[in-house]
Amino acid sequence: MYLDMHSHSVSSDDSRATVEQYVKWIQVLRKRGHTVDGIVLTEHRKFDFDKDYSDLAGQYNVLVLKGSELDTRYGHFLVYGVTEALTQAIDFGDVHMDARALMQAARQHDAIALPAHPGRFGIGLTEYVSQGEVFDDVKIVERLNGGSRAGENERAEELCKSHNLLGVGGSDAHLTSHIATCMTDFKAAIKNENNLVDALLSKEFQPVWLENVVNGAS
Amino acid sequence: MAMELEYDRSLYGVEHLAGPFEITDEIIDRANSSTGETGAAFKSDDGAKEAGYRSRIAPPTLCCILVRQVSLPDVKVKFGRTQMHAGQRVEPKAPVYAGDRLTASSHLKDVYAKTGRSGTMVFVVWETTFTNQDGQVVAEVQESFAKRE
Repeated sequence: MYLDMHSHSVSSDDSRATVEQYVKWIQVLRKRGHTVDGIVLTEHRKFDFDKDYSDLAGQYNVLVLKGSELDTRYGHFLVYGVTEALTQAIDFGDVHMDARALMQAARQHDAIALPAHPGRFGIGLTEYVSQGEVFDDVKIVERLNGGSRAGENERAEELCKSHNLLGVGGSDAHLTSHIATCMTDFKAAIKNENNLVDALLSKEFQPVWLENVVNGAS
Repeated sequence: MAMELEYDRSLYGVEHLAGPFEITDEIIDRANSSTGETGAAFKSDDGAKEAGYRSRIAPPTLCCILVRQVSLPDVKVKFGRTQMHAGQRVEPKAPVYAGDRLTASSHLKDVYAKTGRSGTMVFVVWETTFTNQDGQVVAEVQESFAKRE
């Protein structure tokens, strides 16, 4: 199934898209022949425990999962499977947190944290790797990011190759029509955030561009 | 170690009042002119009545202009050397009519840090509620300012 692993709704300070607009736009994409099964809302520096999108998800037949995108001193990290306990262990608003501590805490609390847009100039993980920093716990990175500038996804791909890393894809949408421009093709059937963490641990996935996903094939 | 922002937290919960702002035809004309607004309801009473309003209305973004006349205290954020206007958004709640007298009430909503391509920035967010002479809320404006290293 195809999931957009990285998106922001109006709950993030810099997005103007509502979840309703996203799921409606996905109907447009489907009419154009694309397969989009779901999205993960990865709001900046927070996790929305109080938000319930199940009615919208059911109405539009789009899986809507919740995660987070956290700022760290080594770039942004996507977190999937966020629990109350993880939010107590880690200050989600700390923009200078140690990404290594985040990754370890995430696994301790049955979640998973991975670098977002690692090829991003100036802030992506590749910058820190090139400075000699070592991230042994990084096994997966966001290889395709819909908000990347020219060359940034290529840098992410090089990182994957040089460090034998797996890759996911996400649109990083902040505007409605950007949703699902990049996705992740999972072998597993995913119904909730726990399934998503399991699917990531299974290693059976690959990043895809929307334009290459037509009628369920990529 | 977490980044601890230093600023005047005593400003939380304090409302800063401003106004009244008289909504004259001239102000509406200038707002229309600045945005290229040509909608009939914003141009004349007749046009507004045709659109279902009792009289001429102001464009919904008028309060974004008025908010700049609200004097806000210094939050005294100890970060960075440069401050810039970062953004504004308005949620219109009710029509603003020519002849209305609006008052504004502003409070500090949030101060937070974020990182991006251009490094670390600290955002200061103010929320202002505009109310008309009848006590009806007509708009809520959120305005943010960014400080960068």
